[in-house]
Amino acid sequence: MLEIKNLHARIADDGAEILRGIDLVVPKGEVHAIMGPNGSGKSTLAYVLAGRDDYEVTEGDIFWNGESILEMGPDERAAKGVFLAFQYPMEIPGVATMTFLRAALNAVRKKRGLKELTTPEFMKLVRAKAAELGVSDEMLKRPLNVGFSGGEKKRMEILQMSVLEPTLCVLDETDSGLDIDAIRIVSEGATKLRGPDRAMLVITHYQRLLNYIVPDKVHILAKGRIQKTGGKELALELEKSGYADFTGKAA
Amino acid sequence: MNVTTLKTKAESQLREQFDAAAEKLPGTGWVSALRARAMDAFAAEGLPHRRVEEWKYTDLRERLRDVPAPGAATAKTVTSTDLDRALGPFAAIDAERIVLVDGVYSADLSKVSAEATVIELMSLAAMLEKAPAWLEGKFSSNGGAVVALNTAFMSDGVLLKVRKDQDPGKPVLLVHARTATEPTALAVRNVISVEAGAKLTLVEAHVTLDGAARGALSNIVTDVTIGDGATCDHIKSLADATASTHLATWTTKLGKDATYRGFQLTASPALARNDINILFNGEGGKLDLSGAFLARGAEHIDTTLVVDHAVPHCESRELFKGVLDGRAHGIFQGKIIVRPDAQKTDGKQMSQALMLSPDAQFSSKPELEIYADDVVCGHGATCTEIDADLLFYCRSRGIPPDVARAMLTESFIGEAVEKIENEAVREAIGTLAIDWLRTK
Ligand SMILES: Nc1ncnc2c1ncn2[C@@H]1O[C@H](COP(=O)(O)OP(=O)(O)OP(=O)(O)O)[C@@H](O)[C@H]1O
Ligand SMILES: [Mg+2]
Repeated sequence: MLEIKNLHARIADDGAEILRGIDLVVPKGEVHAIMGPNGSGKSTLAYVLAGRDDYEVTEGDIFWNGESILEMGPDERAAKGVFLAFQYPMEIPGVATMTFLRAALNAVRKKRGLKELTTPEFMKLVRAKAAELGVSDEMLKRPLNVGFSGGEKKRMEILQMSVLEPTLCVLDETDSGLDIDAIRIVSEGATKLRGPDRAMLVITHYQRLLNYIVPDKVHILAKGRIQKTGGKELALELEKSGYADFTGKAA
Repeated sequence: MNVTTLKTKAESQLREQFDAAAEKLPGTGWVSALRARAMDAFAAEGLPHRRVEEWKYTDLRERLRDVPAPGAATAKTVTSTDLDRALGPFAAIDAERIVLVDGVYSADLSKVSAEATVIELMSLAAMLEKAPAWLEGKFSSNGGAVVALNTAFMSDGVLLKVRKDQDPGKPVLLVHARTATEPTALAVRNVISVEAGAKLTLVEAHVTLDGAARGALSNIVTDVTIGDGATCDHIKSLADATASTHLATWTTKLGKDATYRGFQLTASPALARNDINILFNGEGGKLDLSGAFLARGAEHIDTTLVVDHAVPHCESRELFKGVLDGRAHGIFQGKIIVRPDAQKTDGKQMSQALMLSPDAQFSSKPELEIYADDVVCGHGATCTEIDADLLFYCRSRGIPPDVARAMLTESFIGEAVEKIENEAVREAIGTLAIDWLRTK
């Protein structure tokens, strides 16, 4: 279970407060969606969950499976099952995608007390998952994300997620930049990971994604706080009414 | 007029060593005279120091306090197993092999299968003993103090020629092996000629055998002449663990439509100075020089190059990448000269350093001397740290910070290593670079 308690976070550089008391609980087995206007702090929340040190937590705590993760580095969190699919995946010139995937998988397996996969085992695993997501062999050989289209980068994020088998999946606008078919393919990839041992937090602007990855709850984040929580129908309401209600109030 | 200049201890040692060794060094007649002239030329200048512009960052007078004695031919026999171990990733490469042990050509360890109609190979020492007249012209008189010292002390080396329109089909591995258990000074001279239309991939691998002394001094000069339409790939590898001082000079002349691709890996000497001098002698020449210099602790690596576009329509590219940790100092000086006639010159130069420690230092001095008007020339230098965002991205995938840093550093130098055309050689160089990154 993910429990976020009264989380306040600011930008380390200039001290500007972005998250202003987030309270959120995502039990295992559930998928929660977060929607909210641009600049409301959705990505910031995702980064703080993953442990990016550009942000400083000033108050509150984050528990994953009952354990506070705030003091853990990003790699330790990953070993504990935390995974963030980036809104803007980064390019790593000079590191072949396969090499990167292998380093990542070996690292988390080691931390999780599993033995390293042999080269053939690893290749087989990645090729199978890549095929499901429409990621070509050629892409796997190229440096990670370098020269990939926006949509290809998003698929690569989901491929990494399905290879690393995290238990807390945070998807930051994985649907933006994807064409209609790709949204379906990527959502199917994500939905496959749905299960009793996994919690998912899906950040999106569009109700379309939620037709594929049907959420148990929808939260509206504005001005650094959760303003409203509802069922999947909340997303539909938002499509009609927009965020005016939430950006106006709650100063 | 300079003869009365106060000498440093090292300069006096060099003179004494020369006087003591002159008799035993290979060659008599004009060879002895050449050596004596070179020694006098050196003595007049002395060791280069920081007030000599090209040596601004590498003050040899300051740094070379004690000069080890010239290496004597070792009685110690080197087995090919010992050699293979020292060669590491180069051992497995299918190559013609030429081996110099402590600066002396070893016929036993060298294996050259190419026909004499393809490759002509001679030991320099043997030829200096014979001293044919044509050989004298191979030793240029204006190479500066380090080359002068090399000429005075050269013990051996190779004269290697790839004949007109020939291609040996595999790389030629020129191994500089050090075995001496006492610190010694080596002076090796190689004269390489790739005749018109011929091809050569030459790999100079500097290796130390188990038990070799720390603190040795090597002065290696390699002159390369590339004929019209010929191609030469020239790779140098130095992955040191014995706090050595390494002075290397490459002087390369390119003929018409000749191609020269050079690469230098310099990892962890106490001090290295890599001089590269390029002269375009015929139109249509193409130069692609790159390198990776890796230093930590108090190590010091200086790469200084001069690219002389003496004729029109030539292209030059340089990319040098440094990884600097601890209090290491990396230096890149690149001068591009474009002579008045050298229209349509296309020259680009880039040097980049990745700083792994706040105490490391990178000095970059690009110089463009352009006397022609219709040219495209550019240079750039960057000095960066590991990208914090990329580091976070790697860590968010579970990769521990040290592994992530090594991976990002690897990718940084990868861009230069990838320029090595021969796959086996590229992989061997990559392996050595990665080994360096993973040792602390
Ligand atoms: N590292 C940073 N430096 C400066 N400002 C930042 C930084 N990170 C976030 N911000 C600011 O914090 C606010 C929240 O940004 P965040 O990226 O979390 O918004 P978001 O809800 O994800 O928006 P979007 O829907 O556009 O992706 C914005 O005003 C943004 O400019
Ligand atoms: Mg965002």
